[in-house]
Amino acid sequence: MQIEIQYNPAHSLATVHLDAGEAIRAEASAMVSMTRGIDVQTNAGHSAGGGILGGLRRAVVGGESFFQNLYTARSNGAHVTLAPRLCGSMVVHELDPGVDLLIQGSSYVAAPESVHIDTKFQGFKAFLSGESLFFLKASGRGPVLMNAFGAVEMRELDGESILDTGHLVAFTAGIEYTIGKASQGWIASYLSGEGLVLRLRGRGKLWIQRRNPSEFGRTVGSMLPAREG
Amino acid sequence: MNYRVEHGPSFAWLKVALAEGDEIQAEAGAMVCRDPQVEMTTHLNAGRRAGVFRALLAFLIALVRKFLGGETMFVNRFRSSGPGEVILAPALSGQIIHKRLDGASKLFVQTGSYLASTGEVDTRVRFTGLRSLLGGEGLVLLECAGEGELWINSYGGVLPLEVNGTFTVDTGHIVAFDGSLDFKVKSVGGMKSLFLSGEGLVCEFSGRGVVYIQSRNLQALVGWLSRLLPA
Amino acid sequence: MKYDILDSPDFAMLQLVLDAGEVVVAESGAMVAKDSQIQISTSMRGGLLGAAKRKLLGGESLFQNTFTSQSAGQRLFLAAAAEGDLKARQLAAGESFFLQSGAYVAHSGAELVIDTKFGGLKSFFSGVGFFMLRIQGPGTVFYGSYGALHEVDVGPEGYTVDTAHIVAFTEHLDYSVRAFGGFKGLFFSGEGLVCDFSGSGKVWVQTRNAAGLAAFLHPFRAVKSKRS
Repeated sequence: MQIEIQYNPAHSLATVHLDAGEAIRAEASAMVSMTRGIDVQTNAGHSAGGGILGGLRRAVVGGESFFQNLYTARSNGAHVTLAPRLCGSMVVHELDPGVDLLIQGSSYVAAPESVHIDTKFQGFKAFLSGESLFFLKASGRGPVLMNAFGAVEMRELDGESILDTGHLVAFTAGIEYTIGKASQGWIASYLSGEGLVLRLRGRGKLWIQRRNPSEFGRTVGSMLPAREG
Repeated sequence: MNYRVEHGPSFAWLKVALAEGDEIQAEAGAMVCRDPQVEMTTHLNAGRRAGVFRALLAFLIALVRKFLGGETMFVNRFRSSGPGEVILAPALSGQIIHKRLDGASKLFVQTGSYLASTGEVDTRVRFTGLRSLLGGEGLVLLECAGEGELWINSYGGVLPLEVNGTFTVDTGHIVAFDGSLDFKVKSVGGMKSLFLSGEGLVCEFSGRGVVYIQSRNLQALVGWLSRLLPA
Repeated sequence: MKYDILDSPDFAMLQLVLDAGEVVVAESGAMVAKDSQIQISTSMRGGLLGAAKRKLLGGESLFQNTFTSQSAGQRLFLAAAAEGDLKARQLAAGESFFLQSGAYVAHSGAELVIDTKFGGLKSFFSGVGFFMLRIQGPGTVFYGSYGALHEVDVGPEGYTVDTAHIVAFTEHLDYSVRAFGGFKGLFFSGEGLVCDFSGSGKVWVQTRNAAGLAAFLHPFRAVKSKRS
């Protein structure tokens, strides 16, 4: 399996080249195009029943659905192309055995079946801002394809940093985190526009996206016509 | 204080290295990350020498805008007790331009384009021009003056154009322009165009100066999407 | 007439330089800026009846703007609404290609024909408000995309593309639209269509789609207050 990414940083497209028998699991809505020799198996969810995931759906920014398709190549030379919903980049991280990867829910795109995905619901709902956080844990071996809103920067963290949650893509398991409000009071946090922040401490890799989907959503969403319920 | 705009043109962000006692102010919601020794406090952006009335007016406008959506007039100030870094980014995709204000000249900036400033840069809100009957577009500008550094962001790519004569720009595509330019907000071609052309309002510049135009327009994005939305 | 495409592929913008008498027709709302010797006039596409009929299909505005230059070297800047690329395609007399209606930005050439009554392609987009246009030369058409424009050479082995990602394709390709399994998203149950292309030609694929953005933004919209 080979994953090729084009058109970074704004309009990334990932082409997953598969040999006969190889397969990749990806969100149903991520498929852009594919060659003919690909079998598609639908609703191949990673883990947990629809009940848990269904309830969590709204907790994730943008109401991302969590139903996966399994794309299996029937012959060599097949490929499927994948893209996320928002403008931005994609990046592949090859899992180190024994070092899990924690991915912010809406940043996960695809991975082969040798990568085990666990949903680890953070479930912290900030008063007024309505933000919450939803993590996935990737373990095992193989590539993990992630998306970032805007360009993505990978940092080697060795120490401490305070990161706005909306800018988080992923981090490796050696980093500890706590979630808190950005400012001293709830009103100040709401007015500051910063919402929740992550206090990160430890050593490991940290991926940051240069734009915040919630900020973008609020900026544009407030200008759109109102909706029914 | 050291600063660097990294990786334009599409997703530029501003990396600021603060020394002890340095302070930078940024639009609400702009913080990406900061070192733990950098402290953040939230303030109303009423202008540095605002009297009580102006501050109250700014506060009311800010609350109204916060609840109705749109940019807020709250800002965050970052100070560090030792060397520390803060990274700032705008909400929309695009570029960041840095301008040094020298105290003598003025720069008009679309309110959504203000990202950050330092020093004695004063920003005052000005409502200018027609309020379109259809779309509530008028031109809301921040008049920036004083001495200090100013960072503004564009939606999309940014093109600085020298005006020498007259030049017309769709209001949604204006990032900023020199205070030396004269400007008039109008509909692009008479009453019929106002309602039908889909062009909204334009700003006609005359005189000499630079206008910064952006290649995307939030109002146009909203219009494009609105046709596709479910109820 | 000279043109340049700036900031491609991220936020492409078209810069045209027109001489006296030269004309460009553009989608309403596409104008970014212009020199003062460019005159703009608004008209309904295809006359009143044609425009009214078109409104029913959705995804397109009733009006277009005609820009006429009154002197030499007049600049006109045009851009599409979505974040993405912009390309020009020059068509010879009689040469056509198919373009998704939402991708059209502008064109030049008085003889260029934009055919919207091309019923054969109606099945392409269910309920998303777009349909396919058939553009016939001579003339130049400027079109945009949401995302980057990814060009695919289609050969006899064929290729399959999600219909929401199709921007344009050459006229001699065979195509057939079918439903695609899998949960396509929360709101657009009519989606989930793919198009199987075969034969020989090119397809231009956009790397983002409007329905995905609309679905993302849906929770951020204000909720209508309930009235009894």
